Amino acid sequence: METGTFTLNLRVWRQANGTADGQLVEYTARNVSPDMSFLELLDVVNDDLVKQGKDPIAFDSDCREGICGSCGMVISGVAHGPQRATTACQLFMRHFEDGDTVTVEPWRAKAFPIIKDLVVDRSAFDRIQAAGGYISVDTGGAVDANEMLIPKDSAERAMDAASCIGCGACVAACKNASAELFIGAKVTQFSLLPQGQPERNRRVLAMIEQSQSEGFGPCSNEGECEAVCPKEISVAHIQTLHREYTRASLRRIFGFS
Amino acid sequence: MSAIAGFLASPIGRKVLMALTGLLLFLFLVTHLAANLLILIDAQAYNEYSHALISNPLIYIAEIGLLILFVAHLVSGIIIYNRGRAARISAYEEHRWAGGPSSKSVASTTMILTGAFFLIFVPLHVWTFKFGTYYDAGGGVRDLHRLVIEEFQNPLMVLFYVVGMAILGFHLWHGFGSAFESLGVTHSRTLRRVGNVTAVLMAGGFAIIPLVILLTGGLR
Ligand code: HEM
Ligand code: FES
Repeated sequence: METGTFTLNLRVWRQANGTADGQLVEYTARNVSPDMSFLELLDVVNDDLVKQGKDPIAFDSDCREGICGSCGMVISGVAHGPQRATTACQLFMRHFEDGDTVTVEPWRAKAFPIIKDLVVDRSAFDRIQAAGGYISVDTGGAVDANEMLIPKDSAERAMDAASCIGCGACVAACKNASAELFIGAKVTQFSLLPQGQPERNRRVLAMIEQSQSEGFGPCSNEGECEAVCPKEISVAHIQTLHREYTRASLRRIFGFS
Repeated sequence: MSAIAGFLASPIGRKVLMALTGLLLFLFLVTHLAANLLILIDAQAYNEYSHALISNPLIYIAEIGLLILFVAHLVSGIIIYNRGRAARISAYEEHRWAGGPSSKSVASTTMILTGAFFLIFVPLHVWTFKFGTYYDAGGGVRDLHRLVIEEFQNPLMVLFYVVGMAILGFHLWHGFGSAFESLGVTHSRTLRRVGNVTAVLMAGGFAIIPLVILLTGGLR
């Protein structure tokens, strides 16, 4: 054993494909350096598996710097692991101790079907975005940056909402597999800005309708989503979503717009 | 009409309904508690107050209203619970509460159970007191006070009520704050604390009535 390195017992969810039965399989990771990220740990385990001619553990990753949102997995029972405000790729092994047993599972939600091992299909989020999470802009000459005045406070709150990376941890942690924190962040981001106004009502109605048909559940206001969110998106966005949705529905009921 | 139905059948509309019916039931309980505390203070005033209520024909409208609130709340609660379960098809092998800013609690995870308890409690409660023995206090006034005192001489009855009110407290521990969040009013630690204190006061306020009667024999 190299100095400063340690050994970790892993129990990793292995599932050959979406329809196969899965189960936890035990692996021992030796020479774990405290400076490794959790994904690097899985890389090392996979190197070993490949050398032994076995199928490596499938998991998603891209940026490995906490901004793309692809590396979702449930580590020790918590989405992205027990470290707050951290994606799995930014979770460093120094937070674990020699001899720890760590369980690794995929996001579990009807709307996020498992593709293989830790990889799930998060395209339901893309379809929710496509249903309304955009603004329509007629292209032409670029508008001067300060043409449209936006109060600093609104700009900042919209930025906070826009920091959502769409990783799906909120869904994974919610007992109802609800997507309301994700949708709340997207809806809030646009509802605060002038560019978001023309499509304000139909956006929120369409996104919720899409979320329902994807099979995400309702919100029970437990707030596990905020607690696991790597970007610490506040559940206040869910309250904004509820206001926006109720407003749009009332306008529809009373025949405005 | 279809726009209203569409709203109420949506995941958010259903939670708005849940919150409004829950808060209205809560408001009823506040008045119910205030009135019932009279039992410990003044028997005659209690009987007169009850008489004023039950001799008013509007009471039927109020009762139907309460029943509608109760059923609407209960049905939405069951649907929300089922939708939530259906959204997660396979369970985690290992699952932990995230802690930190989360409001998840024993109360929040047992809402369907603590709620379902009222399905047993409310009919029994109405049976015991509304349809219980009729004592005459004279002048056509029902002596409800005597009925209450008699019922709570039975320690098992008192136990059932104390446990029942604790269960109510659990429901409100999460429900009170949650309702304001569902309505999109606000979310804050303070709101949650207010909800917790309200739940304890409500449960304690009700539970004290049978306890005091059992321990002191009650006002005669
Ligand atoms: C048969 C009776 C009842 C059942 C089955 C029931 C069920 C439920 C359930 C399952 C929830 C949580 C919904 C969710 O997960 O989002 C809830 C919330 C709530 N309940 Fe009840 N409940 C009952 C009676 C009551 C009563 C008597 C009160 C009045 C004190 C009450 C007040 C509330 C409140 C204020 C909420 C919060 C609403 C929200 O989350 O927006 N409930 N109930
Ligand atoms: S790999 Fe991009 S956030 Fe983790």
